[in-house]
Formats: sequence, structure tokens, C-alpha cells
Amino acid sequence: MGKQIDLLQGTLDMLILKAVSLGPLHGYGVLLRIQQISGEQLEIQQGSLYPALYRLEHQGWIASEWGESDNKRKAKFYSLTATGRRQLHSETEKWNRMASLIASILRTTSEQI
Amino acid sequence: MNLLARFRSWLKSIVKGQRLESEMETEVRFHIESYAADLVRKGLSQEKAMRQARIEFGGIESHKDAMRASLGVRWWGELGSDMRYGLRLLRKNPGFTAVAILTLALGVGANTAIFSIVNAVLVRSLPFRDPDRLVRIFFNNPGVGLRDVPFSVPELEDLRNRAGVFEDVSAVGGGSVNLTGAEQPERLEFVVTHPNYFSMLGETPQIGRLFGPQDFALGFAPAAVISDSLWRRSYGADPNVLGRSVRLDNDPYTIIGVLPPGFRHPGPTISGNVEVFLTAGFSADPAPNPPARSTRFMPAAIGRLKPGITLEQAQARLTAMAIQIRHDFATDYPAQAQWTIEIQPLQEALVGNVRPMLLVLLGAVILIAFIVSLNIANLLLARASGRQQEMAVRLALGATRERMIRQMLTESMLLSVIGGVAGVMTAVGTLGFILRFVPSNIPRLSEVRIDWVVLAFALLISILTGLVFGLAPALHSAKVAFSSAIREGGRASGYSIKTGRLRDVLIVSELAFAVMLMVGAGLLLRTLRDLLQENPGFNPTHVVTANVWLPIPNNPKADPYIGILYKTAFNRELLRRMEAIPGIELAATTSDLPTTNLSVNDAQAIDALAIEDRPVESSLDLRAERIRISPDYFKVMQAPLARGRFFTEGDEDGKQPVAIIDETTARKYWATRDPLGRRVRFGQDPTKPWMTIVGIVKDIKSDGLDIDGVPHIYVSTYQSPNRELTVVLRTSLPAAVLNPQIRHEIQSIDPGLPVFNVASMNDVIDRSLASRRFSADLVGGFAGLALLLASIGIYGLLAYMVGQRSREIGIRMALGARRGDVLRLFLHKGVVLAGIGIVAGVVFSALTASMMASLLYGVHPHDPAVFLLVPLLLLAVAVLASYLPAQRATKVDPMLALREA
Repeated sequence: MGKQIDLLQGTLDMLILKAVSLGPLHGYGVLLRIQQISGEQLEIQQGSLYPALYRLEHQGWIASEWGESDNKRKAKFYSLTATGRRQLHSETEKWNRMASLIASILRTTSEQI
Repeated sequence: MNLLARFRSWLKSIVKGQRLESEMETEVRFHIESYAADLVRKGLSQEKAMRQARIEFGGIESHKDAMRASLGVRWWGELGSDMRYGLRLLRKNPGFTAVAILTLALGVGANTAIFSIVNAVLVRSLPFRDPDRLVRIFFNNPGVGLRDVPFSVPELEDLRNRAGVFEDVSAVGGGSVNLTGAEQPERLEFVVTHPNYFSMLGETPQIGRLFGPQDFALGFAPAAVISDSLWRRSYGADPNVLGRSVRLDNDPYTIIGVLPPGFRHPGPTISGNVEVFLTAGFSADPAPNPPARSTRFMPAAIGRLKPGITLEQAQARLTAMAIQIRHDFATDYPAQAQWTIEIQPLQEALVGNVRPMLLVLLGAVILIAFIVSLNIANLLLARASGRQQEMAVRLALGATRERMIRQMLTESMLLSVIGGVAGVMTAVGTLGFILRFVPSNIPRLSEVRIDWVVLAFALLISILTGLVFGLAPALHSAKVAFSSAIREGGRASGYSIKTGRLRDVLIVSELAFAVMLMVGAGLLLRTLRDLLQENPGFNPTHVVTANVWLPIPNNPKADPYIGILYKTAFNRELLRRMEAIPGIELAATTSDLPTTNLSVNDAQAIDALAIEDRPVESSLDLRAERIRISPDYFKVMQAPLARGRFFTEGDEDGKQPVAIIDETTARKYWATRDPLGRRVRFGQDPTKPWMTIVGIVKDIKSDGLDIDGVPHIYVSTYQSPNRELTVVLRTSLPAAVLNPQIRHEIQSIDPGLPVFNVASMNDVIDRSLASRRFSADLVGGFAGLALLLASIGIYGLLAYMVGQRSREIGIRMALGARRGDVLRLFLHKGVVLAGIGIVAGVVFSALTASMMASLLYGVHPHDPAVFLLVPLLLLAVAVLASYLPAQRATKVDPMLALREA
């Protein structure tokens, strides 16, 4: 396991939206999926996941439904809503623009000024 | 952003708060257990796995709190916890809580009760169709200073046909009537109107029908409408009452309808409860006929304005018409009278005379609400100073200022809501009891109830008081806590200047309000005391009175008392039988018992007078109230004769007509000459014989203890008989003992005569002061309460100061201050505060007292005694209230105080 990276401020919401966009998940499942797709490189404080989930649901970007987990237990499953999908799309675009902008700034050498 | 979704989720979480909590719990537990299960799979023991999972999850409660915040329910939850905390604080200080809630309940309760009366009497519209268009019509003779004079049938026709502003006009007369045929003959109050009266008001019957055009008659129509209360009392609410015959003053009437329970005649009444309604054309017996323009006997009229015509337009039109009529019929309208027509909204005419009293009462209770809330503000402020440390800790732990103000306001609002609810409950529970003390001459009392308007007012008062007493400590605590409470450590600092100033202002305003209330109460109580000590001109002790009413049938043939002889015979027989009752020393009759009125329109009881050798044209200026008495009247009343003689049995019909005048009449009409032997007569009929003045009596307060200057002329009832008889009896027996004997004796003469109002003369006088006593007692009670609260305020402030400054006092004393110096220090503080408050209060009282002028009698609104006594009393109380804590300050042990520091 490599060195873990602390989550950047404000990116948790985006990661959650991405995680549930691939199919409904319960809270623990969201955590596992983020860790899985990030190659176990992201450090998320487990408890802080839930306020974020509640906030996103409160904003109408994800919806929740009680269902049964793999081990036959009652669990709350989150799925992306239509507005959530739009939100994820625009967030992704914003992130990409920002990332390329930051990257280009960081690539700048003294000759280019 | 999806606002709707947010709101729905917020609402869901509020409404299903309990479920939210359990769901959060389930979700968190599922997470931790799933993670633990994964850890077990990786080789950890069950116990270790659970531990590890919990640690990695983080603080469960703080995450849950963040989840709640995500849903926007934290504000709600905070409110809940603030309220729980506030309730805990209230429970922890039961003394403070009891005082605060009790005074609040009293303040809000008094406001609610008084406002429910004001609302019913002054605010709510009359319960008729389009009440704004109903007016009372007055005829005035301003040239000779007469208002509300009677009018004639042709004048009423002018209002109907010539004025063009009225949709409907009805004359209104009334008085007492004897109901016979029931178990006991009863005296009822009746009203007689034109047939359009009920349709003009828009009233519908409970059963049967009301008057209509078919009931038109020149004289009285044979139909009667009865009130709900008479229907229930005398007919057991029998629906077959319609068509039944009743005898009213020996005339037969048929009951055609019953009014609904809420109906009240919207005009002046004797008893407040009109039970029989008759209709007449006022143009045949018993009315003077044929109708003549100058035969003015109808006492009042009400009208409904045509739609779209304003009061001002109608008034202008009527004023112009009056001038035209005066011109057209010059002989009927003496120029100097300046006869004119005035209209007033019916509601105003009905309740106008009680408005000043009710407004003063409302002002008094609002002042009490202020004082109560200032007092609680002071208590809260003292507590807030004690809580500085708590506030400082909260700030240090990251509470925002807004959050702390919110908490303090929540606490005081909690208090005001509890107090408000207790107050409304007090008012609801005691309203019936309070109404029993409200004088019955206030109209519309039956409409008093606690409705939404009253509840809204109570809510407003509670919230306002809550804001007043909550805001000051809330703002203060947030500010103070910001400073250095923590640094100052375990012991609270000295008397902080900022708190001190705020508390001083509160105390000063409280005192100023108390002064205003006390001045008002002082003026009212002084008026009442003066009236009680007023010499009525006779000796009311050991006098019992009773009323008898000889019927006035419309048909002269049905009248057993027609003519002087029958009435005189009845009167003599009545007196003979009264004096035969053991224990009765002397008996007499009068047409006007002092301090009562048996007629609805009192102003009209004053008759025009003619004096021999005075020009006839001035006769409108000559007026006196005519009182018909039997010979022994003045002896029974023990009213002193100034000169001349009393009446004798010989002053009867056929002998020389005689009169006795009072000193006011003598002064008014014979200022420079001796009235004895001069001749006068009532009315303008030149064929009537002159009456010779044979005696002058000292003034008797006939029209009420608070009415002066009305000239009276007494005539012998054997020469000028009357049907409204009040029997006055000199006896040492109580009225209750005599009641059955009086009734029995009178009904042995005529079993159809009702006997009513059997009472001692002192009770009669007392009843005439009921309304003054009520307002004086009420405002006096409030003033006493204000005094108590103000002294508690001063005491509390100084006691608190002494506690806070005990260290300083110790140092002062250690440095050589004597006990006297310390005593003076605190006394000085109390007296200065009281002084400022009292001066401010006196200034405000002086500015506002003239608003009470109409409630005062014989006392100037700026009465020096009241304006001197109230400040002195308050100052004395303030000194006493400051002395106790100041005394305690001198007991501070310097060593102890310094060591504790």
C-alpha cells in the first residue's frame, strides 16, 4: 500500500457522486468503492462520509432507499438523481478546467514569463 | 438548487425527528459492523475489530450532529435544547420563576380581561346589518344650552321626507310598563318605535315575526315582540307563545315574535335589558293628537343613512334643512333657541359616555404590563450578571454572539409565553367574576367574551413584554461576556458600569410608570372619597325606598287611576298603610328619588318654566326639574327647610296651587328679590293656574352626587299627581325585612301593581357611584401593585449591588469608612434613582392627567394634594426599600470580605 493522500477540500462530494453514479450503494459501499477506484490511495475519515451523504440528499442530488445488503442486513442505499447527474457533469468539467489550469501554471518556467 | 427538495427533506426531518434519529443510528451501526466484519476477515479478533472500526469511524455523536446540520435541522434542535435549558433554569430558580410568572400572569390577565371589555364595548361594530350607516339623531337648542331635546311628529316627517339622506328613520321611546297576568305583576322595560325599527336594524326573529308595515297604527299597535330572556323566564321558552295575549299597563297585546338571545336595543335604557318592544304611529292616544309641530314629546330617533352618503354630507344637509325649517315655521322655533339637527354614529352615541372610563382602565393595565416587564427585566439582568462566567465559557468554546442572544431570547420568550398562557387562563377563568363588578350601566356588556381579537391582543402583550424584558439582558450578556469575565475569575467582578446603567434606567422608568398609575388612582379615589363625603342634602341613613308604577293604559277607559282624585286617593291609602307597618315612623312619596333615574332621557326631564311678570319670550331659558312629592317628603328625608313652610295635607286639588323651590332655583331666578309669594307655572299654556312659592329648601343632590346646579321645583303630588312613585320610609328596619310587608300592603290596594327596587337609601346612593367605585378601585389596585413592584425593583437592585460590592465595602471600611458612610452611599443611590423616576413620572402625569378630567368631580386634574402625596409616598417606600439592603451593607465584615478577595 502506497502513501495515502489526504482528500482535497470540497472534493468528497464529487467523489461520492461519482461513486453512486456507477450504481446504488450503501454508505459503507461508497467508502469501499472510492478506496477501490482510487487504488487505496485516498484517506477518508469514515464518519465524515455521512454528513456529506446527508447534505447531498438534502440538496436533491442523490436519493436514498432502505434495502437489503449482501449479508442480508437492512441498509440505506444511495443512488444518483437526474439533477445529481447534471451536477456531477458540471463538477467534472469544472474540475478538469481547474486541474489543467493549475497544471499549466505549475509547468510554467522562467523563460515563458 | 432544488429548494423544494430541501424544504421537503427539512420538513420530513422535523416532523419525523424520532425516525431520523433511529435511521441515523441504524446506518452508522451498519457501517461500523460491516467494517468490523471485513477486519475480522483480515484476521482480527471480533473484539479488536469492533474497537478498530469505532476508532476509524470517529466521534459518532459529532458526526451525527454534522448530519443533522446537513439537513438544516440543527437550528430546530438548538431551539429545542435552548428551551430545555431554559426550562431547567426556570426549574432551578423556583422563587424567581414563581415571581416572574405570577406577575406576568397578572399583567397579561388584567390586560386580557380589560381589553375584552373594551373590545366588546368600543371596538366591535354593533351587531346589525351595515352598522356604519346607523345614526342617532339629536335635536338641539344650542342658543339656550339644551342638547337632545324632544321632537314632534311633523319634525320626524321632515327627517323622513324632506332631508333626503335617510333610508329609514324611527322614533324611539320607552320606559317602564307593568306586566300583569303572570304569577307576580312585573315591571318591565319597554321600547316603542315605528314599525320599521327592526327592518332598519336588519334584525330577524327567533320565532314568529317582527314588526312590518301591517302593524302600522296611529296609536299603539296591538302587537308585541318580546325578548329572549322574557320568553324563557315567563313562558318557559314555549314555542306556542305566539298569539298569546299579555296585559301591559292593562292594555291587551298579542305576542307576534321572539327576538334572538343576542339582541340588545341600541339606545339608552334604564336597566340595560329591554324586554318588550311595541310599535306606534305616535299620532293617537296616549300621544297628543292631532300632531302639531310644537308638540314635542318624542324623546329620540335613530336612522339609517342612504348608501353612499357620508356622515359629513348628511350632517351638512340636515343643518341646512334645520335653518330652512326655522325660517318656514318661525312661530314654532324661537329665534334665540337656534334649533338644529345633529347626527352621530349609533355606536358612538351608545358608548360615548363610557369611553373615557374604559380608556383610562385600558391605559392603567397597559402601564401595569410595562411595569411588570421592567421588573422582570431587572430580575433577569441581575441573573444575567450572575451568568457572566457561563457566557464567557460559551464564547470561549466557540459560540457565536448571535447564537447567545438567541439563547437568552429563547429563555425570556419561554417565560413570556408561559406567563401569557397563564394570564389568558386567568382572564378566561375570572372574566365572569370580574364582569359582576363592572357597573351595569356600561352598554353591550353581554357581548363581552374572549374572542380571536382579544387572544391576539393578549399574544401581542405577552410578546411585547417578553421582548422588553428579554432584549435588554440578552444584548447585555452577549456584550459583557465578550469582555473579561473569564479573566476576572471565579468571583464576579464589581458592579459593572454598563449593567449598572441599564438597570438604573429600568428602575427609573418603572418608578415613573408607577407614579403615573398612582396619580391616576389618587385622582379617582379622591373624587370617590369627596363624593362619599358629599352632603347629599338629606340624611340617607334609616331610609328604605321602594318603587311602584301606576299603569298608563292607552285606552282611558281601562285606567283606574285617571284624574287627580283617584291618584290622590291611592297615594293617601298607600301612605296610610305604610305608616301602619310596625317599625315605620313616617312615609312619603316622590316622583324622583335622589341619585336615581327612572326615565331614559334625563336631560328632557327638565321642564320649561314661566314666571309671573317675566317676559314670555325668555321662557326657553327658564327651566327647572319638577319633582312631585307628598307632604312629609322632606321630613322623611330630613332635608332642612331654609325659609317658608313644607307642604301640608291641605295642599290638594281645588286649593291654591303651591310650590317649594330649592336654593339653586332661588339664586338662579330671584337673585335680588325674595322668591316667597312669587308665582310660577310649568309649560307655556297661559290657561294653567299660577303656583305660589311657599317655601325654600336647602339643595338636595337629586340628580346624582356629582351633578350640581340643576334648579328644582317641588310641587304637591295632590295637586300635580304622577304615576312613577317612589315610596320613602323612615325606619330603623332593614329593607330586606320590610320588603314582603311593603309588597303585601301595596298589593292589597291593587294586586296588579308591581313593587320593585326595595332598598335602603344608602344602597341606592352607593349604586349610583358603582361606575366610579369600579374604576377607582381597579386603578387603585393597579397602583398598589405598581408600588409593590417598584419597591421590589429598588430593593432588588440595591441588594444585588451590596452583594456585588461587598469586597469594595470591606476595603472602604478597612480604610476607615464608618458604617454611616456606607449606609449613606447606598441610601443615596436608591434615593437618587427614586428621585429621577418620580420627577419623570410627575412630569408625564401632569402632561396626561387632563385626559382624565371627565372622570373627575370636584378634583382638579393637577390636584396639588395628589401630586404632592404620591411622590412623598413613593419616596418613603423607596427609602425604606433602599434602607434594608443598605443596612445589610454596613454589616459587611471587612476582614471576611478582604480574605475572600
